[in-house]
Amino acid sequence: MPLNVARQGTTYPAISFLVEEDHVRRFASAVGDDGTFVSPTFVTAPELAAGLARVVADPDLGLDLARVVHGQQEYEWTRPVAIGERLTVRSTIESIRAKGGLELLTLRTEMRDGQDELVVVGRSTLIVRAPT
Amino acid sequence: MTLRLEDVSAGMELPTLAKVVTREQVRSYADASGDQNPLHRDDDVARAAGFPGVIAHGMFTMAHLASCLVRWLGDPGALKRLRVQFRAPVFIGDTIVAGGVVRSVDPSTRRAVLDVWVTVERDGTTEHAIRRSEAEVELA
Repeated sequence: MPLNVARQGTTYPAISFLVEEDHVRRFASAVGDDGTFVSPTFVTAPELAAGLARVVADPDLGLDLARVVHGQQEYEWTRPVAIGERLTVRSTIESIRAKGGLELLTLRTEMRDGQDELVVVGRSTLIVRAPT
Repeated sequence: MTLRLEDVSAGMELPTLAKVVTREQVRSYADASGDQNPLHRDDDVARAAGFPGVIAHGMFTMAHLASCLVRWLGDPGALKRLRVQFRAPVFIGDTIVAGGVVRSVDPSTRRAVLDVWVTVERDGTTEHAIRRSEAEVELA
């Protein structure tokens, strides 16, 4: 079943994400950083919670996780994330397009701080294979 | 201390960063990132999808590339943008090697753009897990 193109442009409800020291340390340890700083890609955790978790659970989109591979990922950081801050994280389906026998879904996720300043933008492109 | 503009020029190669991927690392990454896709935890699920066993998250490999860049830069805040394309799966026991080369330096913005990649070494063969990818960094 193809993706529902009408869901393009959908913005999911924002989540509030507290950057906890223990979480930052566990992430650093998992990726091999020394834990003296917030790993730049720690932002994957809030991004997944606000974005991928929502698209997978979106009954109107028709995304089958078993057919999904991660094609492309981008982050643009205005500044590093700080321990103890609370981020507001909001994901939007930026595009849904067909390419060959595949479908590409691009999610754009904005993470803003308490002053509503942009901290990070994530852009994740999922490749959906045709059902076999 | 952040890498300085005068110490960077086009064509400069980053020191590579290598590690052997373990099941424990991938499990820790699943817990820390929240990505609990069974492809990364359950060998049976991964085999049913056509892999020899569980695969590492693409984002796990991207994180390794970011680690390589931060070590070179000396400052996590100097990494301003990272865009990657995932080209091949990474399995438990593989050696992943992150690297890159400076493509251009703009003295007016103190920013440099790099071509970056991650190779996978397995049984004497090498392929790219991440290629045609780009980083932008801000120099002191």
